[in-house]
Amino acid sequence: MTDYNFKEYPIRAIGLAKRFGHVNAVSNVNLKVTPGSALGLLGPNGAGKSTTLSMLMGLSKPDAGEILVFGHEAGSTPARQITGATPQSTDFPDQLTPRELLRYTAACYGKAPKTEDLAAQFGLQALLDRRVAGFSGGEIRRVALALAFAGEPALVFLDEPTTGLDVDAQEGFRVAARAYVDQGGALVLTSHHWHEIEAICDSISLIDQGETVLNTRIDDMRARANIKHLSFDLPARTVPPEWMQATHDGRRWHMIAEDADSILRQMIADNLPFQDLSLEPLPLDALIKHIRREETLQ
Amino acid sequence: MSQHLRAECSLILTILFRQPGFWVPTVLFPAMLYAFFGAQSGDGNWAANAMASFAIYAVLGVGFFQFGVSVAQDRESTFSTWQRSLPGHPATPWIARIMTSLVFVTLAVCLVIAVALLMTDIALSASTWARLALVCLFATIPATVMGIALGSVSSARAAVPIANLIFLPLAYLGGLWVPPMFMPTPIAAISEWTPTRAMGELAWAAINGTAWEPQQMIILLGWSLIAVAVIFVSRNYATRL
Repeated sequence: MTDYNFKEYPIRAIGLAKRFGHVNAVSNVNLKVTPGSALGLLGPNGAGKSTTLSMLMGLSKPDAGEILVFGHEAGSTPARQITGATPQSTDFPDQLTPRELLRYTAACYGKAPKTEDLAAQFGLQALLDRRVAGFSGGEIRRVALALAFAGEPALVFLDEPTTGLDVDAQEGFRVAARAYVDQGGALVLTSHHWHEIEAICDSISLIDQGETVLNTRIDDMRARANIKHLSFDLPARTVPPEWMQATHDGRRWHMIAEDADSILRQMIADNLPFQDLSLEPLPLDALIKHIRREETLQ
Repeated sequence: MSQHLRAECSLILTILFRQPGFWVPTVLFPAMLYAFFGAQSGDGNWAANAMASFAIYAVLGVGFFQFGVSVAQDRESTFSTWQRSLPGHPATPWIARIMTSLVFVTLAVCLVIAVALLMTDIALSASTWARLALVCLFATIPATVMGIALGSVSSARAAVPIANLIFLPLAYLGGLWVPPMFMPTPIAAISEWTPTRAMGELAWAAINGTAWEPQQMIILLGWSLIAVAVIFVSRNYATRL
């Protein structure tokens, strides 16, 4: 059933399934993207992330389920008019320059090209009028990312966007992607880099063996499980008490603290001679593992 | 013309004009071969018929090399996959391909005609030129469909050699290089069933002021239907994978 809110979602996908021959690539994926937010599609290799993204982009049709892009069927002309995309791998005709590709893409959307702005955002200024034939993998990737935004879309799909990018370009991309979301754009991206997901995304959708196993906002996840990563040094031949279940990585002691305040009070009460203590939010991957383990136990 | 269609046409023309491997054999070769083997080999009528043959050869070349090779490349290219995510009517890229192929057909045929006018004493009436232009335009349909069929079944790497393997024998068998009357009997018998012979017959009829025979149209329709069937079978096979 379609209602008003339903149409407002940049993406709403329900019960997606896709088979390739005898292989069930995706069997039950459900997700939604709220306006002005970024969704990270996560999962191990072969989980079905790229197949899901391909269906969201409208490049392949699901065997079952429904995808609505701002209320339009994925892949339909109105849906394509408001979406941009960077697939997992992209090649470009050797004869073309980034400027020509940006002009072409903007024209497909009926827009004037914002070539200089996009070149500045994605570090393409020096490459704009060179043919892509001699470009490195990272340079090609930067062109592909710029093209996703060239039509000023309301929703952008990015499949492994920073693969092949150097550290500076990755940082530049994160800034550009977050700025796009902060200005009201919606983003769906897959990535194996947890810190990238955390830096850009507001929510995650975890896919495992073709099924959605977790859909949550990152803030909610952190609020629900206020877990910290505690690390500290101890003098030589001193070991933490057994109740802490701390592990040593050869340099420092580490533990996952569900109630950091109580643990710190207990460490002080036990006169543990800790030094250089640091208390940080649990990395996203460890947090997701913890939540999934909790859900399994429940 | 819509902004999207203009953009597609401009993209295709930029790519192809920057690829001498495409435009040298398709645009220059027909005129060059005509200059070597057609324009110097006989009187005005002979040269005019040869000009019509090489004009058809030019049309066929564009069909085989533009469509055959680009369709094969598209099937393996992530760029064309990405293009499918862009807005616009799905038919627009195909309309752009057809329009740009007509640009190359026009260039190639005009070069053959220019060589004929420069090197021979042919003098044709306006209606003869118009009939020849009509045949060339009509011949682009089966040439295009056969090119797409070739691209649908061949890999990008194999497309150029396979296109040559089919295109060159077809040109010979159709009597575009050697008039059918000089062919050995068994070859002449095969020749009558080739699409190139049918195209050639229509072009020669235009030059000689004789009527177009329906038989040639039927042969071209038959080859076009076979090519369409190949395209559909290969598409269905690809979507099942």
